Amino acid sequence: MSTLDRKLLREFRATWIRLMAIISIIAVGVAVYVELSSVYNNISLTKDEYYAQCKMADFSVELKKAPLTEIDQVIEDFPQVTEFRSRIHFFATVDLDGVSDLLNGEVLSLPDEDSAVVNDIVLERGSYFTGQRDNEVIIHDAFARYHNLRPGTWIHLILNNRRQELFVVGTALSSEFVYLLGPGAVTPDPKHFGVFYLKRSFAEDVYDFRGAANQVIGRLSPPVRDRPDALLQLLDNRLSTYGVYGTTPARDQLSNRFLTEEIEGIATFSNILPFIFLSVAALVLNIMMTRWTEQQRTIVGVLKALGYSDLQVGWHFLKLGLMIGFVGGVVGAVLGFVLAEFVTSIYAQFYEFPELTNRPYPSAMLVGMGISLACALAGAAYGARKVLKLRPAEAMRPKPPAAGGAILLERFTKLWKQFGFSSRLVLRSVFRNRFRTLAGLFAAMMGTCILITGFMMQASIVMLIDFQFRLVQRSDRDLVFKDEQPIDALYEIRHLPGVDWAEPVLDVSCTFRNGPYSHRSGIQGIVTSSVLTLPRDEAGNRLRVPTSGLLMSRRLAEILHVKPGGYVEIEPTRGDRRVRKTQVVAVADGYLGLSTYADFEFLNSFIGEENTLTGATLSVSRSPREVRELDRELKRLPGVQSTTARQDSIDNLTETVIETQSILIYLLIGFAGVIFFGSVLNSSLINLAERAPEAATFRVLGYGPWEVGMLYLRESMVVNLVGTVLGIPLGYLLSVAMTEAYGTDLFRIPVVITNAIVIKTLLLSVFFALAAHMFVQRSIHKMDWLAALKVKE
Amino acid sequence: MTTPEERDSTSLPTATRKEVLLQLSGVGRTYQMGEVSVEVLRDVTLDIYRRELLVLVGPSGSGKTTLLNIIGGLDRATNGSVLFEREDLSTMNGRALTKYRRQIVGFVFQFYNLVPNLTARENVMVATEISREPMDVADALALVGLEHRIEHFPSQMSGGEQQRVSIARALAKNPDLLLCDEPTGALDFDTGKRVLELLSRTARELNKTVIIITHNTAIGELADRVIRLRSGEVVEVKENAHPKSAEEIVW
Ligand SMILES: Nc1ncnc2c1ncn2[C@@H]1O[C@H](COP(=O)(O)OP(=O)(O)OP(=O)(O)O)[C@@H](O)[C@H]1O
Ligand SMILES: [Mg+2]
Repeated sequence: MSTLDRKLLREFRATWIRLMAIISIIAVGVAVYVELSSVYNNISLTKDEYYAQCKMADFSVELKKAPLTEIDQVIEDFPQVTEFRSRIHFFATVDLDGVSDLLNGEVLSLPDEDSAVVNDIVLERGSYFTGQRDNEVIIHDAFARYHNLRPGTWIHLILNNRRQELFVVGTALSSEFVYLLGPGAVTPDPKHFGVFYLKRSFAEDVYDFRGAANQVIGRLSPPVRDRPDALLQLLDNRLSTYGVYGTTPARDQLSNRFLTEEIEGIATFSNILPFIFLSVAALVLNIMMTRWTEQQRTIVGVLKALGYSDLQVGWHFLKLGLMIGFVGGVVGAVLGFVLAEFVTSIYAQFYEFPELTNRPYPSAMLVGMGISLACALAGAAYGARKVLKLRPAEAMRPKPPAAGGAILLERFTKLWKQFGFSSRLVLRSVFRNRFRTLAGLFAAMMGTCILITGFMMQASIVMLIDFQFRLVQRSDRDLVFKDEQPIDALYEIRHLPGVDWAEPVLDVSCTFRNGPYSHRSGIQGIVTSSVLTLPRDEAGNRLRVPTSGLLMSRRLAEILHVKPGGYVEIEPTRGDRRVRKTQVVAVADGYLGLSTYADFEFLNSFIGEENTLTGATLSVSRSPREVRELDRELKRLPGVQSTTARQDSIDNLTETVIETQSILIYLLIGFAGVIFFGSVLNSSLINLAERAPEAATFRVLGYGPWEVGMLYLRESMVVNLVGTVLGIPLGYLLSVAMTEAYGTDLFRIPVVITNAIVIKTLLLSVFFALAAHMFVQRSIHKMDWLAALKVKE
Repeated sequence: MTTPEERDSTSLPTATRKEVLLQLSGVGRTYQMGEVSVEVLRDVTLDIYRRELLVLVGPSGSGKTTLLNIIGGLDRATNGSVLFEREDLSTMNGRALTKYRRQIVGFVFQFYNLVPNLTARENVMVATEISREPMDVADALALVGLEHRIEHFPSQMSGGEQQRVSIARALAKNPDLLLCDEPTGALDFDTGKRVLELLSRTARELNKTVIIITHNTAIGELADRVIRLRSGEVVEVKENAHPKSAEEIVW
């Protein structure tokens, strides 16, 4: 080891706390990068493999009922459809012994004999159908796990209004249900919603669908795959005689859409977060290097005088940057891998893959390493550059005093006189070391951004649940019928035990058009006097459903470019399906889905019906016994496709989303802490070193170490707090950008900033600065005052 | 100790066949300080010979350090030329200048300039590690009487001891041209004497060129030539036909 390296090592040892602080910032930046890109790769690679394995469909067509022979003939005319399958698809209620919760499921037919089909399943436990029984079922694995249903047990489903006993042969997963959502849900709830695969022959029998199907799923050849709309339109036309409810390209397939949007969201995050950390790290490192090389001005001069070349001296300084970058990179890559492991396991709870595991991605780690090194070297080179340029003779002369004169503020004599001497010291130092102050502000702003984003995301979900389930949807039970029902069905329900009140609902899925803009969504018909569904505006004010025309969700109105008072064309998939025009009377806010409301009677006549309903909302009695009885009745009610309990939805959202989110928020708080801590520690220690004679003089004058510490604390606090205050609006903007990136038609995240968030952020910022100051205080205690007074730098 | 006879035998040839090491002609140095320019060296024309001991005297601020820096390649002249082996130091590229500093020059700084977190030995090693034919580090420190201080850090040494480490560092490079900016400034009489003796022996016995800056006119008696600077100009060049030995001088 050369003598200069030995010098370097001793300097590392002397400044290790500061180096650790900087290394942590870099490491966190690299870790966040490695983590996000690993998670991104984990999910998107697994998705691709899984989709290929199951032969994931590129489209589906929902039909009322069509003979298989006819479907085959039609599809034959579309050579772009490389492979397809006609299946039977229904919703059903599930009746498990000893389970009082309302359980629902999707029922799908599969060939009696195992073969590689479109939207195939991956068996987890048990086997495929056997030849032994007709009434065999393969259950969605997560549902089976929750209810402890093993192959070999019997379960009951209400199929086509009849309670059927089914023998479980196996449990399985499928690529079309990676993110399995029940009707109206936004998060998977495997406890209350499952998928049930039946033998095709058995499904034909129970649904009276001999030689027929109500859903076609298929795969497309590559060029059409990406732009399937024209083809799907043609298919729709050709099959229309069999009552096409709609065609769905893969990009609109619910599970796929959530999954794809999540992957895009991760990509967005991975573009923003690491940048924040690494830019702060480069700045802090730059400040440290500038200070370090300034301090070593004379040594640079001596080394050059002894015959060291600029390159050799420069290399000597760059080694520090290199070391920081290298250690930061390695620690970051390892930490990133561990974090990716953890975050991937969280994703595995929501997104069901046969196997979603974390893999090491050397390329991501190398890029992270590279970024770390580049950022450290840039910070180091930029900091060292000034001193290196000096001729040795110049370098050995004492540094010309920095602009030591009065700061701008001092010209405002009146104001200046208001400050005590220690405030003046603080202000002078803040304004004289402009670059350092700016870097401190920047770091505090970035730390604040991260805190605000984390807190806002958390508050947003709480707010969303509150808005959606306490203000808008106030029903306790939501019923969906299999087909349209006459109004009598509502009166029956009102007479069920434990029902306090019930309101009819008519859901009509339709295509909205406004000039060039169109969107497939639905209209919810509710009674104008509804007390169980209360549309609201953003501020939470109630909005009345107009007696004619639509109360449209803001997002849909935006998509369609229509303003209140404007007209849209509507093509319903129910009733007579005639295209009609109607007015958008007002705009409502909601966070789940694109709910558009209309008056129940108006919507009925709009689709050419009278007093039909597709569902009902209920408020129930407070007696638990009565409610249990009601739930039992509801499960057996003929014609019911699904029944959901509002409390189950709230519980599910709270347990899954909020709890996992909290973990991520603690992580973010920790990361922000690293930024605040590192930046404050670095600049305070430099400040202390630079002003050591001043501090020493104070000690000689009789100040205690804590009093001297206060002078430095006040300075770092001023910078830190100003940065935090400036960072709050910036964090708000960042959150808005993130919510935009994450928001979808299915799930809009409200942007919420509350006093509590601001206060929490300020408190944390103060806390981290204080924590850093403890180390500064330690240095003050340990400082050798005599030496500080004696030594010239 | 050298006897007068021995000294004569080495100094006589120097006087007779003078071999030029450096040729300064019209050297000037001007500092630009904002609007005003300060001329701290003006028209210095001087030949520096191999194997000579040169003493540079003059009042504080007269430009001694500036001139030494230019000779040592630490600074560049703004006027005139400094020829070393037919090449001009003032227009040489940085690389050549670094090579010149590394291979030809040894510098003893006015303010010692040791690296604070390196020991005495390591401070010398910093120089020897990049030299072609360095002296043994321990020998160099022994020459200045610091063999018992080898593992001490600068902060653990007195000013005079630090100055001697600085001298050892310059000597250890085994340079052709040894430049010393007030090498005895911080030393007591006896130690100063020993150092001077060492420096003159370096010139006489090891055939090096040694330039010493001093405020102490008595030291001039050691030199082959004494150059006097005032306000940036050479005002006197005094040749000593019979330089004294360090033993003989008193101050
Ligand atoms: N970088 C600089 N900028 C401006 N003036 C300078 C600079 N370096 C030196 N000077 C001036 O040049 C003059 C000569 O300085 P120099 O250090 O050569 O003096 P000196 O003869 O070595 O003095 P001393 O005996 O005190 O060491 C001084 O007046 C000094 O102020
Ligand atoms: Mg001087």
